[in-house]
Amino acid sequence: MQANPIKTNKKLSINNSIITYKSNIFLIINFNKDSTMFVINQLAVLTALLSYVLGSNLEHDGSVTIRLQQALVFEQFPVWSERGNITIQSLRLGQATVDQKPLSLEEQKLLRDLAARNSYYQIKSIVTSNDGSERTFVSSVKACMLAESELDDRLSVSIDYMGRVIGVTLVVASNSACEGIIVPLEKLKFFNTVVYVRHSETGPIPDTASFIQKIEREKEAKEKGETKDNRSFLAKYWMYIIPLLIFMAISSASNPEAPQGQ
Amino acid sequence: MAKFEKLLLKITLIIIHLHYSFAIYEDQVGKFDWKRSFIGKTKFAEFESKRIIVVTDENVLASLNANNGQIVWRQVLETPKDNTVKLLYIDRDIYTINGALNGWIVRGWDIMTGSLVTEWSIPTEKMDISEFLVLDGRLVNIVPIVGSHLEISTYYLSTGELIGKTSKISTPWLTDASNCIFAKSYYICISSNDYSGQLYYIDFLYKSDKLNTKSLQGFLEDLLGPVYILRVNSDRPAFLLASRSTVKLIEIENDNLVVKNYDISTTPFIAKNEEQQILYQLEASSNPEKLINVVTKDYTTGEELSRIDLEYPVGLGAPTIVASSSKKHNSFLLLSTSDNALLLVKLPEGKVHWTREEALSDIVATEFFELPVSELDASIENEFKTNSNNIINMLVHRLTTQAKQLSNLIFGSQLLSDSGLVRDKFGFHKLIVVATRIGKLFALDTISGSIAWSYRLPNVKPFNILDEDKMLLFIQRTARYAPLPAQCMLLAEDLITGDSIVFQFDPITGYSKNGIEKLNVKIAQAILLPHEDENQLKAVLLLSSNNDALVYPSSAKSLVFKHIKHTHIYLSDSANGILKGFNFYHSTEDDFKLTPTWEMKFYPSKLVSVNVKHPNERVHSQGRVLPDRSVYYKYVNPNLISVATVSEDPIHKHVLSIYLVDGITGLVMYSASHKRAKGPIHVVHSENWLVYSYFNERFRRTEVVSAELYEGHVQSNSTVFSSHAVSVLPHVQTQSYILPANPVKFAVTLTEKGITNKFLLIALSTGAVIEIPWLLLQPRFNDIPCGPEESCIPYMPEIPLSSEAIINYNQTLYRIKGIEVAPARLESTSHILVHGLDMFYTRVAPSKTFDVLKEDFDHLMIVLVLTGLIAASYITKYLASKKTLKQLWK
Repeated sequence: MQANPIKTNKKLSINNSIITYKSNIFLIINFNKDSTMFVINQLAVLTALLSYVLGSNLEHDGSVTIRLQQALVFEQFPVWSERGNITIQSLRLGQATVDQKPLSLEEQKLLRDLAARNSYYQIKSIVTSNDGSERTFVSSVKACMLAESELDDRLSVSIDYMGRVIGVTLVVASNSACEGIIVPLEKLKFFNTVVYVRHSETGPIPDTASFIQKIEREKEAKEKGETKDNRSFLAKYWMYIIPLLIFMAISSASNPEAPQGQ
Repeated sequence: MAKFEKLLLKITLIIIHLHYSFAIYEDQVGKFDWKRSFIGKTKFAEFESKRIIVVTDENVLASLNANNGQIVWRQVLETPKDNTVKLLYIDRDIYTINGALNGWIVRGWDIMTGSLVTEWSIPTEKMDISEFLVLDGRLVNIVPIVGSHLEISTYYLSTGELIGKTSKISTPWLTDASNCIFAKSYYICISSNDYSGQLYYIDFLYKSDKLNTKSLQGFLEDLLGPVYILRVNSDRPAFLLASRSTVKLIEIENDNLVVKNYDISTTPFIAKNEEQQILYQLEASSNPEKLINVVTKDYTTGEELSRIDLEYPVGLGAPTIVASSSKKHNSFLLLSTSDNALLLVKLPEGKVHWTREEALSDIVATEFFELPVSELDASIENEFKTNSNNIINMLVHRLTTQAKQLSNLIFGSQLLSDSGLVRDKFGFHKLIVVATRIGKLFALDTISGSIAWSYRLPNVKPFNILDEDKMLLFIQRTARYAPLPAQCMLLAEDLITGDSIVFQFDPITGYSKNGIEKLNVKIAQAILLPHEDENQLKAVLLLSSNNDALVYPSSAKSLVFKHIKHTHIYLSDSANGILKGFNFYHSTEDDFKLTPTWEMKFYPSKLVSVNVKHPNERVHSQGRVLPDRSVYYKYVNPNLISVATVSEDPIHKHVLSIYLVDGITGLVMYSASHKRAKGPIHVVHSENWLVYSYFNERFRRTEVVSAELYEGHVQSNSTVFSSHAVSVLPHVQTQSYILPANPVKFAVTLTEKGITNKFLLIALSTGAVIEIPWLLLQPRFNDIPCGPEESCIPYMPEIPLSSEAIINYNQTLYRIKGIEVAPARLESTSHILVHGLDMFYTRVAPSKTFDVLKEDFDHLMIVLVLTGLIAASYITKYLASKKTLKQLWK
């Protein structure tokens, strides 16, 4: 009997991203329309994300600090530089204070180049929870999208039912990948980051109570006897009367010929 | 009137429900379904008049018809996971003993019907190995306790009454129970696996105080290598001593050892003829056509009585004899092979009477294949496919192909159409290629259920993915591209090294050009890439356990490189509870490098399921039309991964968490948790919805939750989907149900264009596979009325399981391990293969067969009516003209 070799339990699958570039004239004409849509959708993101905050069901509240680092050159083994700190005082309420330093001119140029090469901007979040445990997460966004949004990004901090952070993802709200706009450098200075703490919803349970109520109500109604239908005669039987009328109208329209023929 | 309306409402509701129950008629049984029953690899077997009683590794007791190998009856015992059958004994009834370390069950079965006659148990507290044997109609239970003693208990077999007391025999010399065997009333041990060892034997029943000791050196010639003691089936107390080069049969006669001085294999089979004891053994033959010889020897003298060439089928593994029956002139041998087949051989002819492919009782990978077009169709297609634009060339090409067609028509065509493996109009005729745990590949015909070909791969084993054993089959090229043959690839692990092996083959014929190829790396991930090369061949991207990427076949590397920068991949590490996303942005033409892009850490929760949608699935409708005629758009993200984790919790016992994660960005789209919910967790992920089931510990019932994702009334980007562009988080509608059954597997139907409604297929522990329309589970909107007018079934907390919805009607399927689904070419229909201990194939049509005429459609009637009408119109025309003519003359 030989010993079983160590197996790697890794699930197999594929994901292909669909990447498109919209840079033709048609879209530039349409751009204004698109940008209004964009605002609407941003609002939608806000409301959608807020609904998660309100649906909090955490048993113990906690606080979390996140040290954010960024990589302005997309590499296989990136070099991280400090971006700022985020403190979430209350996971339950999702309150966060964001403290980020502005990008230096050099960094701005790096970001612009990254965007021009259709490359990725990466962040690394080092999450320290109040029991002292530390977890790090990497997240990437398309640099061009970050640039086009003028550094207006969102940080989604997902927590599980116990309040443990399971993922930190950087997102840029937009309804298409990249538009191909050239953004002036001065707009790439200050990050406008909104942090969303995203709770795990309480899963639904079978709604037996209301179903039993419904059945009982039906039973009661049956016992009480038929409820009076106090609609007028026409309102009740219009579906029978109209076809009859139509039929009569047709037959009377074709009838007059008959006596003529005789 | 109100009463009438209520009645009307009820009738419509009933009609809606009836519409979704699809029972078949009695005369349709077996018309488009088939079932094959299996028993597993044979462990013990015995001939009993015209039957063969078999007990298998799958803990199945069965009676086979000796004439054709068919199952007469079958009893499925406890699952083999932690339960083994120790003994099969046939007297007037059949007795089996099975159980685990802390308790054994003795059962008596009727030989003719297989019904249970008696049952009693032997409770033991000790966690020691038990051995059982039957001597003189009494059951003897031996518990060897290492370094101390043997515990011997004797019971009446039929009643379970203990005879006398449990006796203890002091055996301080007993060091390792695996070096001990028992033969009749003797317990025989060797003290160590080399020549310095001693041989101890003791008659534990009759002379338990007398221990006999012998040195091993006297029995075997060569003094190197390990020594083993082996059991042999004999009426007398005998055993085998084996070293690397020699095997000796030793019999105990009156406490003395008698060594039989003749050549013997390690797996001889001793049988009793009318006159004498004989010994069968299988030997390799020098004859290249008949590879195996059956050698018969006299047991006492060792004289060779006969040597018969066996007509052993090519492709089967190495056999061993498990049972024999000897009559006057002919005898039968039951052979079990290393690839789990069971065959009956008739002697002295040496012919194989029948074969059972028991490997099919454990399937680890399945794929459906479309058959190639017939040769005539292919040549017609070929006729209009020329490379040159030259008129003369084209003419010549057409003439030659037409001449070929003519010759085929006259002289009959070759191979493919002869075997009947030709594509049909509706895609009902397909080949199912299955890979089994033992490493044997089979192709099954969907119409008849027969085996089209089989191929044995020695020394392979499946991968273990999230506690499930799986091999991977990839369709690299379908049969659509005639004359290029279809191509499929199997990925598995080497049994010895654990490295991966690749086996590339033509799924229609089973022909493999290269055979097994060893990759010499452990594979952690494998992906079939969607891009085809000039030969319409898709490449497979393999990821080794230390994240090196390989392309198979390696010739496709440059093609893969073109698309690699836009390929994303995820890896799940279930041991550490980590899910990671990567892309290949930094790849060069020779070296595909993985760059991590996102990660999720679920630790200390345990990953129990990671699911993606079926890659071939199509979503036909973009939205759901609400009663107010507005459209609610579906959130159809092709990159969505569903993840289920279970965590141990001090208060809530187990907590199940469900996450929907985007595979490109790692953004959690939705997450939900269920407290006091434990596994088994089943997840089905399709279109814009997810269905999962778990066991609710609080209410002690199985619950099913459906969650559906919508974008809302506005579609954020109707032309193209990008995971990077997150504009709206999906709105999630959920609803929960009670499933009044114990599910073992979930699946969802798949059709070619995705127009047909979806059905959920749930395999239950009762052996039924039930179909439930997705409409029944689809979450209802709170603010929208639900009733027959909106074609919506009002919410019911309990899922109704009607017996009409069982797709395998009254054919119970044991130990279902998987449900495989594939689309037919007819939009309404899907192929279903349910496998486990049994295999069941059928076709389901979730929206009924709306695109094909019913099979009882009356063609004659419609022809008669039509001709009648035409004739009548002509006759009346003639009569009318005649009448007008007459009137004009008046």
